[in-house]
Amino acid sequence: MKLLVTGVSHKTAPVEVRECLAFPEPSLPAALQSLKSRAGVSEACILSTCNRVEITITTDDPADPQALVDEFLRESRLIAPASVEPYLYRHEGQNAIHHLFRVASSLDSMVVGEPQILGQFKNAYGIAKSEGVLCGWLEGLLERAFSVAKRVRSETGVGQMAVSVSYAAVELARKIFGSLNNRTVMIAGAGKMSELAARHLRRSGATHVFVTNRTHERSLEMAKLFQGTPVEYSRFVAMLPEVDILIASSGAPHYILHKDEMQRVIAARRNKPMFLIDIAVPRNIEPSVNDLDNVFLYDIDDLQEVVNANLRERLKEAERAEEIVKQEVERMMARISVQEIAPTIVSLQEELERIRQAEMEKARRKFGPVTREQEEAWETLTRGIINKVAHGPIAELRAQAGRPDGAPAIAAIRKAFHLHE
Amino acid sequence: MAEMSVIWLRVAAALYSVGLLHAILTLVRKREHLFRVSLAAISMGAVLHGVSIVEEGLLTHRCPIANFYETLSMCAFLITALFLFVYWRYKTESLGVFIFPLIFVMTLVATLGNPVDAWTSPVVRNVWLDVHITLVLLGFAALAFTAGASLLYLFQERELKRKKPRKLYYRLPPLGTLDELISRSMALGFVLMTLAVIAATTWAFIEHKTQWISQPAIGISFITWGCYLAMVFLRVTAGWRGRKAAIMVIVVVGLSAVTWVAHARLGSLLLKP
Repeated sequence: MKLLVTGVSHKTAPVEVRECLAFPEPSLPAALQSLKSRAGVSEACILSTCNRVEITITTDDPADPQALVDEFLRESRLIAPASVEPYLYRHEGQNAIHHLFRVASSLDSMVVGEPQILGQFKNAYGIAKSEGVLCGWLEGLLERAFSVAKRVRSETGVGQMAVSVSYAAVELARKIFGSLNNRTVMIAGAGKMSELAARHLRRSGATHVFVTNRTHERSLEMAKLFQGTPVEYSRFVAMLPEVDILIASSGAPHYILHKDEMQRVIAARRNKPMFLIDIAVPRNIEPSVNDLDNVFLYDIDDLQEVVNANLRERLKEAERAEEIVKQEVERMMARISVQEIAPTIVSLQEELERIRQAEMEKARRKFGPVTREQEEAWETLTRGIINKVAHGPIAELRAQAGRPDGAPAIAAIRKAFHLHE
Repeated sequence: MAEMSVIWLRVAAALYSVGLLHAILTLVRKREHLFRVSLAAISMGAVLHGVSIVEEGLLTHRCPIANFYETLSMCAFLITALFLFVYWRYKTESLGVFIFPLIFVMTLVATLGNPVDAWTSPVVRNVWLDVHITLVLLGFAALAFTAGASLLYLFQERELKRKKPRKLYYRLPPLGTLDELISRSMALGFVLMTLAVIAATTWAFIEHKTQWISQPAIGISFITWGCYLAMVFLRVTAGWRGRKAAIMVIVVVGLSAVTWVAHARLGSLLLKP
């Protein structure tokens, strides 16, 4: 059996090439059936996302998987394989397993650790399974890839740190308040990013949203959007003691919140911490507000700095994740080797049984008729002997099968017992 | 001190203990409990406290501020009266968290001015001391936990203020979680320390008669407890967090260490026949 992964990704091909090779979801069942119908193809799976297109197949040993995929691409995508060859990557055997584990674990993604790829991969697996083109070894391999991805996510922080500005704001809020349950948010001004941040905060447990805007109609509109409470712009500073998180994004050309005002706000809050997110340009909140105790002010550049730090941290975690993937590939290869050694073990057992039977026959001829009890005693004795003889070589075969340099030892055992292919 | 006067003072101390209970519940459960009940008990205690002072004055034909215990009693009475006035005028409930334990401990100490009989049994004496030591050690453990969490709070706060996350930022728990830990361990520590002070005061009183108050180690213990009380009060009422709170915790930890050293020979007392 052969395993081949052929594909393009954001790392190897520009979008013009990726879009030519992409398989829209409705066309996947037909494409999978077309692939499976080719002589020699055992199983197939097609993963098609905006950043990658990958065709994974297993074939019988005599078949040439690369030629089969090229033929499939030529027919289904109407592309001459030579024209996309420079952008294609092809992984076989162990490299293919390593690649699949990395893709599922989001180590090959544009944003390392992003969670969508696993969902997309599971979706591709589901379609292939429902089409009946995934029903054996490859199915097990893909399920293993999902388990590896799960292990990577739970044992490393590769997917834990926010890599967008709006999520970074939510993550910071969590670092300040712990839980966001029952926290109160105020949005001053309007803007896509402030809406997005407020939406994330709301989803993370913030219970109430106040909205203020110089245009009262706009406040009403936004309040409706967040099921919040509109606050008159002139009263927003007076409301601040009740607010835990302020998102400022008004178009005012000057500061709308000053240090002395915040000093009074924080005193009124009895020093309870407050998180101020200033995503307006020009800035809405006087920067020296951050000098006040228990006030944490972040402007757009500060949030970007957090995102950059998170990305660096994710890359460090990705190194740990790569180690896990490597371990899992080795484990998978060992499992495959053990599966491959099974016929040798069976033929060793058969050979020993053949010798036992022959010797029993000789003994019967020599001693003539024996009682039933004597026959049973011989059976027990000879079986015990061959089991003990077989134990050592079988254990050694299993052990050597899991090692990369185990082939000579396996060959020696085969030779010693006169086992043939 | 006249016998009846001492009895009134002891009843007043018992009534003030309801206020102590209120303070403890407020700290531990983070909600005001028993305030109305304790206010009534404190008011009644203040009346009896006043009766005790007047009776003592009438019997001795002088103002009862002639010795330490009488002065303490008078001081506790005045603080109580002032608190009741301030409450009547400004409805400052949160002040009770600080005042109630203070007037209870002051009045308790004031009742210990009259000598009583010695220990009925050495077993009771030693067990009493063991209980005190256990409470103090548990209190110290809670305080050490508070100090540790306060330090982590300072580190995390600095990371958040710097706005350039480093390793520490990712490793340390959120400020909110640390704040919760500090509050809980501080409240638990205060409860344990207060009970330890009560146990120690009564033990020392029976052991050393009226001379117990002149022991410097006991004076240091009261100062430590007072600072702990102030720390808890500032935390509950003014919401002291971060730098200020950490400095306060370090001061209390330092004083606790001094108190510990001052009581280093306490173990030997257990061996006393």
